[in-house]
Amino acid sequence: MNRSSRGLRLIYPVTAGPLTCRIAEDAGAFTFHLDGGEGGESSAPHPMALQISVSQAGEGLCRDDSGRTHPFAWAWVGPQLHLWLAGSLFIFLHESGRRPTNTPGSQAPGDILAPMPGAVLEVMVAEGDRVERNQTVMLMESMKMELAIASPRNAVVRRVAVTPGQQVERGMRLLELAPDDQEDS
Amino acid sequence: MFTKVLVANRGEIAVRINRTLSAMGIAPVAVYSTPDAGAPHVATAEYAMALPGHSVEETYLDIPGIIRAAQDCDAEAIHPGYGFLSENPNFARACQDAGISFIGPSPESMEALGDKLRSKAIAQGAGVAVVPSSSVCTPGDEQSWEFLEKWGLPVMVKAAAGGGGRGMRLVHDRSDLESALESAGREAHAAFGDGRVFLEHYVANPRHVEIQVLADTAGHVIHLGERECSIQRRHQKIIEETPSPALTPDLRRRMGDAAVAVARAAGYFNAGTVEFLLDPLCADFYFLEMNARLQVEHPITEAVLGLDMVEWQVRIASGEPLSLQQVNIQPRGHAMEARIYSEDPYHDFAPSTGALLRWQPPGGPGLRLDSGVLQGQEVSIYYDPMLAKLIAWAPDRNSCLGRLEAALFQFQVLGVVTNIPLLRSTLAHPQFRSGVYDTGFLEWNPAVTVPAPPAEALNLASALAAWAANQPSGPGWSLAGGGGPEYVNPWQSVGPRRLP
Repeated sequence: MNRSSRGLRLIYPVTAGPLTCRIAEDAGAFTFHLDGGEGGESSAPHPMALQISVSQAGEGLCRDDSGRTHPFAWAWVGPQLHLWLAGSLFIFLHESGRRPTNTPGSQAPGDILAPMPGAVLEVMVAEGDRVERNQTVMLMESMKMELAIASPRNAVVRRVAVTPGQQVERGMRLLELAPDDQEDS
Repeated sequence: MFTKVLVANRGEIAVRINRTLSAMGIAPVAVYSTPDAGAPHVATAEYAMALPGHSVEETYLDIPGIIRAAQDCDAEAIHPGYGFLSENPNFARACQDAGISFIGPSPESMEALGDKLRSKAIAQGAGVAVVPSSSVCTPGDEQSWEFLEKWGLPVMVKAAAGGGGRGMRLVHDRSDLESALESAGREAHAAFGDGRVFLEHYVANPRHVEIQVLADTAGHVIHLGERECSIQRRHQKIIEETPSPALTPDLRRRMGDAAVAVARAAGYFNAGTVEFLLDPLCADFYFLEMNARLQVEHPITEAVLGLDMVEWQVRIASGEPLSLQQVNIQPRGHAMEARIYSEDPYHDFAPSTGALLRWQPPGGPGLRLDSGVLQGQEVSIYYDPMLAKLIAWAPDRNSCLGRLEAALFQFQVLGVVTNIPLLRSTLAHPQFRSGVYDTGFLEWNPAVTVPAPPAEALNLASALAAWAANQPSGPGWSLAGGGGPEYVNPWQSVGPRRLP
């Protein structure tokens, strides 16, 4: 039986391009032909022959053709596939899946997004303010630690999307920035 | 001895204290916030009292609420754990006033030691060297500039009531001093309800070595040896070990004597920890502070001494004399602790939240896991991101390293991102393995803090991901059946199924 898997992309610990994988199954032994997704490696890897057994939901053991065993575990978090393998966590995004609802659908390049979930402590800028690169524009608190949010570049504040005291999720828009017209290029 | 003790804490430390209380035949009483109703610290207690609310202010920091809970369930004593109210003299006093034993030192010695400036004066009075510091500073005042003139840059801004790296700033540039004083003061106020800050001379890359002391109410004081705590990220300890690779028997004796002298001068009883900065080159050490509570990293001391520190805390608080003598304190073997945080080492250690979809800790000889979480539990933004502490013991340092490394390699966590890659890369680093390291270790080794992605496993991971996406729980399957993958419950998976 032959199958192919598309639409997966590695997003953690590093990001990589879309992954295409042909999977051939013959009497329970799998052969994988990977194409892309190796983030920088030019040559396509050799086909991989693996025996895979599932001991319980979300937990499996795979054996490569040298006989080496690799326990692994996986779970879906929305469209994300969390995979634990050989002491490391990998996260793949299934691109045909819907995006989680708490992240903004579109992110303009000028937006500042919350780097972590937490509360907005203080907003130091207002709409129309000119801000400089690395200038602290906002203070957040998460897990009892204070975090300064800095502007990524010289810009003008187009909109402040949050208010002090507000709880934000990771990836939520905090501030919209417009290019600074007076900036020397 | 007490029959019922309330544990005014949550997470791994509350679970750990519950265990000792149960083993002593004492009924543990948990208190819990609304989001913690099903948490392990509640499940491991015999009684549980609700502290309705989400914020720590209305729950684990609510002194009248906790005292009321203790009275309502007839608890004779309260163990504060670490953090929260553990070093709050008002809490210790409120316990006293309510006729409840506080398992810790007296409010007076706590007050003196909790103030970093007063504690330094106590240490100096006991003949122990301290790091030079200013008195309380406010942004823009004269004496902060005077201190800068005298001791130069960089300078450390510290909270007088501080701890755990909060309210702390390292200032490299004069122009940053006022804003650092301001933001440290604000953070200190939020964390401790006390915004006083001061300046301290910055000792570049010392080792951070602390001595555990135990004292009873009759004035018998001993020390339980040292813990090496130099592996820190932003002043937060992440790996600790004992014995310290930097200590000679002579230095160990001198530091132990100094710690006992400080505890005596402070009129201290119960368990406490004296922290020192150690200059490894000239073997000089300086008193930093004394922590009037149980320390996060206390299990490594327990591992090499074979004793239960919480048990001693309870016995001392109930009025028993400390029957241990200094000559009986003979550490055996080597112990290390790795703190597992839900923080993302690849994205500037941003806290990671979500459901713990998988939590499979390792096991084996010489391993101990102090954990406050369970598989399926939600890791929220409300609390500290430390999930668990993994402690390894072995007869020697190398075997201990091996046990801890292998255990971290096997630790399966899905659902949140953890700092396990950082812990593993630290343990694997030749400098850490040699034992010659200081508090600058992570700062000088960015490759350790953000470890290289595991390239050798990447192809295999990609193949297995492609395979998993084709499993009946994956989106390839669920999309065909209707809803999107975000509706897929990962536990409604294939079930036991064997592929030959």
